[in-house]
Amino acid sequence: MEPKIPKPKDTFLSLIRADFITQWRNRRAVVMTLLVPAIILISWKGLVQHFGGPFVLSMSLTIGLTSIGLMGYAISVARDRDKGIFQRLRATPTPDFFIMISRLSVQLAMIVLLVLCVFIVGYKFDNITLSPTGYALTFITGIIGGALYLGLGQAIVGFIKNAETVSSTTRLVYIGFLMLGMFGELNQFPAQFNKMIHWSPFGTVRMIAAGAMDPHLWNSNTTIALFATIGYTIVFCFLGIKWFRWNSAGA
Amino acid sequence: MTDQNSSILAVKNLNVFYSSFQAVKDVSFHVQPGEIFGLLGPNGAGKTSSLSAIEGLLKPHSGNITVAGYDVNKQPLYAKANMGVQLQATSFQPELTITEIIKLFAGIYGVPLTSQKLNTILQDIKLEDAASKRFGQLSGGQQQRVSLVIATIHDPILVLLDEPTSGLDPQSRRQLWDRIEAMRAKDHAVLLTTHSMEEAEAVCDRIAIIDHGNVIATNTPESLIELYKNDPNVIAASRKGKITLEDVFIGLTGKTVRA
Repeated sequence: MEPKIPKPKDTFLSLIRADFITQWRNRRAVVMTLLVPAIILISWKGLVQHFGGPFVLSMSLTIGLTSIGLMGYAISVARDRDKGIFQRLRATPTPDFFIMISRLSVQLAMIVLLVLCVFIVGYKFDNITLSPTGYALTFITGIIGGALYLGLGQAIVGFIKNAETVSSTTRLVYIGFLMLGMFGELNQFPAQFNKMIHWSPFGTVRMIAAGAMDPHLWNSNTTIALFATIGYTIVFCFLGIKWFRWNSAGA
Repeated sequence: MTDQNSSILAVKNLNVFYSSFQAVKDVSFHVQPGEIFGLLGPNGAGKTSSLSAIEGLLKPHSGNITVAGYDVNKQPLYAKANMGVQLQATSFQPELTITEIIKLFAGIYGVPLTSQKLNTILQDIKLEDAASKRFGQLSGGQQQRVSLVIATIHDPILVLLDEPTSGLDPQSRRQLWDRIEAMRAKDHAVLLTTHSMEEAEAVCDRIAIIDHGNVIATNTPESLIELYKNDPNVIAASRKGKITLEDVFIGLTGKTVRA
């Protein structure tokens, strides 16, 4: 029989178009994702003088990235797995990794949107400007930091099969990061605890984002934070892929 | 009708495990071009597991499955390109409209879709007025029609239908049978699972009864009735005097209700 197989390009473009339409129809959630970092930037205007623009911008960016990885990616993957949407796609001549790359591409677009939003709000409300190198490096660290939280989201949907439990867990982790980030990075906890927060997945991303925004501030700690971020990402992705099942029954 | 070499679907010695539980035990059958093959069994008998293995959705412990000559595990994309699938609980992205879902799957299968062709498809399934509705807004019967049209959008030579008529009203069920029979007329093969013995008797050319993961009988509905009409369990299951396929099914699989 004559081999008959669709072109990978057609398959992938169809998937990605559908995923972007889905994201567009969920634009209320997208706005919420962008709103929290924007609110932080606006409400922390007074802190810019004290801590510096890169600190406030990097804090806001890190919280936004956490939101994309946990609230955006993990919850949507858990929901679609629960509804059998992935299984329906997997029954077609689509390589499994196309399905995930398509999903991740949407999240990548969200990261770019978030970084732009943080730059614009930071400039408009807090008068924070960066050097051209700072803007470029922030984009790159945004993607590196985003990968960490997408990896964390992947680990959560890999470890937890039930969509509702994934949803409540990611919300809890997100709020935890929000609280730890705000109070920990502002040194509101005992020194040892602050140190732990600095080297947590939240702290390392914030550190590299701040270092990227003002390259003069980049030091050996920032380099270690970069390696730690990559290390966290590898571990989370490894666990997330190893544990992941395409249907919530676990088969 | 039983020449394995010309089969569109050939399943040989299939074994499926979930951890230590064996859901499918050494199952073998084949489906010929122009044949509607029914896989019948009580709940948890192994029907959906067998179907999932054929669809490439779960990896069997052992056994061999070929679709149009392509090994499902070694050449999955080729095998999947030759089959159309309707899952038991089909779900599409709830944010997408019917038109967008059809476009998505046409694109995945590389089927060129002009707006004229799209309209023809929507008219064919009587959903031209619901084109901009989302899948979740459709009735059960309408959802089944969309699922079936998606399963056959690339004109596959093998169509796999997992309980396609469950939850349908009699009109929708008859319409679905007509569609399945139209596929047979085009020499396509259809493998379906069902709990409806009436449906199996009405549309299936051959049937395999599966229970506790084993195929316990394979034949045409008439031959199965003829073969087992004197079986004491089948006679005991009979309620109307005349032996039906349902009597044979209950006689062979027992009266106990499965979880």
